[in-house]
Amino acid sequence: MNTPEVPLFRAAMAVVRRDLLAEWRTRIAVNALFLFAFAVLVLVGYAVGPTRLAPEDRPTVNAVLLWIVIFFSAMTGLSRVFVKEEEAGTASALRLAAPPPAILLGKYLVNILLLFAVMAFIVPLFLVLTSFEIKCPSLFIVLLVFGGLGLAGASTFTAALVSKAAAKGALFAVLSIPLLLPPLIAAVSGTQVAARETSFAAGLDFVRVLVAYDGVVTTAAFALFDAVWRE
Amino acid sequence: MRLVAEGLSRSFGTRKVIGPLSFSLENGRVLGVAGENGSGKTTLLRVLAGLIRPSSGRVVFEEDGMSLAPRDASHALGWFAPDLALDGALTAAENLDFFAAVRGLRPDKGAAERWLAGVGLDPRRVADVPLRALSTGQRQRVKLAYATLHDPGVLLLDEPGANLDEAGRAVVQKVVASQRSRGIAIIASNDLRDLALADERLALS
Amino acid sequence: MVKSFGFLLKALLGLGMAAICWGAFLYARPAQNFVGESSRIVFFHVPQAWVSTLAFFVAAWYSWRYLRTRRIEDDEAASAAARLGFLFCVLATVTGSIFARVMWNSYWNWDPRETSIVLLLLVYGAYLGLRGALEDPERRATLSAAYALVAVVTVPFLMFAVPRMYQSLHPDTVINARGKIEMSADIRIIFFSSMVAFMALSYWMWNLDRRVSRIVRERAA
Repeated sequence: MNTPEVPLFRAAMAVVRRDLLAEWRTRIAVNALFLFAFAVLVLVGYAVGPTRLAPEDRPTVNAVLLWIVIFFSAMTGLSRVFVKEEEAGTASALRLAAPPPAILLGKYLVNILLLFAVMAFIVPLFLVLTSFEIKCPSLFIVLLVFGGLGLAGASTFTAALVSKAAAKGALFAVLSIPLLLPPLIAAVSGTQVAARETSFAAGLDFVRVLVAYDGVVTTAAFALFDAVWRE
Repeated sequence: MRLVAEGLSRSFGTRKVIGPLSFSLENGRVLGVAGENGSGKTTLLRVLAGLIRPSSGRVVFEEDGMSLAPRDASHALGWFAPDLALDGALTAAENLDFFAAVRGLRPDKGAAERWLAGVGLDPRRVADVPLRALSTGQRQRVKLAYATLHDPGVLLLDEPGANLDEAGRAVVQKVVASQRSRGIAIIASNDLRDLALADERLALS
Repeated sequence: MVKSFGFLLKALLGLGMAAICWGAFLYARPAQNFVGESSRIVFFHVPQAWVSTLAFFVAAWYSWRYLRTRRIEDDEAASAAARLGFLFCVLATVTGSIFARVMWNSYWNWDPRETSIVLLLLVYGAYLGLRGALEDPERRATLSAAYALVAVVTVPFLMFAVPRMYQSLHPDTVINARGKIEMSADIRIIFFSSMVAFMALSYWMWNLDRRVSRIVRERAA
């Protein structure tokens, strides 16, 4: 027997397809994510609204609120990719059949898709409900993309960690928050800049921080996943 | 293909569950592992499959001059156990197609149906049904298909006959016979009917 | 093999700490640019913050070692460092907050250094929380080691995410852009002695924790 090379990307795509298919049929994570995001959005929209904040405060406060909504939505739904495997008992079958990097890549992609779907729903609604004016849309979108990637990357890794622990729900947020504070701070600061300035360059530093963070967290996750996944 | 276990033992905390055990098996041999509940049969199979690390000793898969640990030999390993679970929301065919894809196999369109037929299931009747809607015995057979679809050199079966009717047991017998002709099989069970399929016995206490 | 501090070393440590306490309050004069006597807190707050940061890197180092060697002693060293780091982090946060109240009349200002010590506190809390939720020793060691390593590469990003890390409310007598130490001689001697003493103290405590872990493990076997 020659150890056959399992093409990682194809195996990862198989994981993505299967997870999305299962998710489509049960809609558990999607429901949790969207309902939560919507509820928080309504609360924020009502409390803050288009008129309650002074115009000069709006960039600061709205930027923070937006990312809070995104962050807490992530905490609600992104742990499922690994937790459901352990809870349903399907993890062993996966462990024996799939190469660990393919599993991580697949789960990471699923979380990215989920998070981007939720963001595509929340962000426009938020902008409308709070009359949040963004002076530099291109910077804003770039921040959303790379901030989202960072959120998904760190969350997928901590999901793998908590899936084998007790008290998974609380522990997931507890573990994710310290890892995610730096990119969240960068994303919020960058969003504040995007709301105030029209030039992309004004927020470039924050984009760089996010891109670098994404690279580092992804690399670390792949390097450590093998040890985490196997018992 | 040769499966070698050397000085294998596994403890959980201070409780020693198996070991020390040493044995070796070549192609064409079917080993039955007998023992009461709690004697470590399942643990032994999990160690052989690479799902748990042994506390001491090692397991080696040897072929073509290469020696591999279980974790590097997943292509040569098939594992079936009561606590093995496949995705309940997907159909049997979708599950099998997934595991084939994730193992790097590129089966043709009809492969899933062949595998299902090979374990005595009518593909037309289970095709559009999510796995959780099948009976326990039917699910059991799908699990057998999962364990064998990649033609593993080593097949590990933990309580293969549980929940199966006569026809199901006949399928298990067929699977074991087929495995004997091309590789190694290990059957762990309390049930004498399962153990009767083996050529030799290892008793755990 | 973790050896115990001999009696002489412990006596030296005890006397040294006592001498520093004496020096901090009775020998060193209050520094300029500080409100009243508040500069004295520097002799305690800065070493505590330093030790808690150092402990983080020590924990990460031993986590890395554990993943390579799978020796439980490495995990015991990592978790001992984390417990110690957590304790000193709490102390640093509290002393810092007291100082902020005296100096600027508010307990918390979200100054970049304050933010980073809080982040460190959260990391320690998360690490210890993860360990608490895992029963199996090997799994606990492996997963917490993995977390420590991811934390050690992502947490420094705070330095880049928060601009103007050097321009903070923190008095810049020690860490400053000019790279020079601006302290009077009497303060300088107590300060550096305190740094040494706190490091020795924490090393001793780390040692103790590891020895206890080993004894507990050997008893259980």
